[in-house]
Amino acid sequence: MDYFESKLAALWMRYREACPDPEPSPEFMPELWKRIEARRQATLNVLFRRWVEVCVFTAVLALVVTTLMAPRWQRMPVYQSTYLDVLTAADFSDEVVVLPGGEVPGDLQ
Amino acid sequence: MLIEFEVIERARKGDEAAFSQIVAAYRKRILGTISRLIGYPEDVEDVGQEVFVRLYYSLDQLRTPEVFEPWMYRLTVNAAYDYMRRRKRRRESRMSDLSEQQVMMADAVAGGKEREEEVRRAGIREFVQSLLGGISEDDRALLILKEVEGLSLKEMEQIYKVNESALKVRLFRARQRVLKAYEASRVAADEPSMKDPQAMKDAKE
Repeated sequence: MDYFESKLAALWMRYREACPDPEPSPEFMPELWKRIEARRQATLNVLFRRWVEVCVFTAVLALVVTTLMAPRWQRMPVYQSTYLDVLTAADFSDEVVVLPGGEVPGDLQ
Repeated sequence: MLIEFEVIERARKGDEAAFSQIVAAYRKRILGTISRLIGYPEDVEDVGQEVFVRLYYSLDQLRTPEVFEPWMYRLTVNAAYDYMRRRKRRRESRMSDLSEQQVMMADAVAGGKEREEEVRRAGIREFVQSLLGGISEDDRALLILKEVEGLSLKEMEQIYKVNESALKVRLFRARQRVLKAYEASRVAADEPSMKDPQAMKDAKE
């Protein structure tokens, strides 16, 4: 095993020599900045698309809810009875209760 | 460090001139590491640019400039992984392509000594790549960083975020797998081969 290990260690070194650091092309930096800009644009586009999606979804949801609930809201009366019904139902006493001593009960003052 | 902490700090705050300085300082080294990791010279620059794009958009997450280099290596290894996965997916469509060595051989027929030297190097590259092709991407990156790039265990600890003993175990296993493949290739080399015998012999000697 040691024999192969030492051979392998030598092979790594030769591989290192056989693969020197390549010289970047003159286009490396301009291309890099183009990619950075493209990524930034793509991110903005994604954000804008998300925002539009959220708006459209909210609008559609509001429309659906309004459509479904509108008939119910229209049928539902604001008051359960008329003003006259309320007056009739009220138990008003026409007589003024006069207590001995001329005092009038507090709720009739 | 190839660059001062202050430059990294400025780049982290969004200074594009400082970022360009970092790229200029590290691009050659990063391209070298990528070329040894992926083994396809034609795609090295593309992967290298991807590393720097990722660096640009993640620099604000860097805690301190002291850990910049391991951070950079981590990005490099990840970009190389992604490339290798993409490459694996489209490998089938390129099975009919000539190997690098075969192309170099064809060129060498018309060339002189320089060409021969390049053929020898291509033979070594192809042989090592074939050895590494038999192990996982993780093991491959681990071995390249340790054995070829010469990183210390301390540096690798920061890249992989695991402790030294775990790293040693992983390295040991990866080495064993490559050794096994190496031994097997030596046995196979004794048998008649379809490939160029001289280049293969050079690689294995």
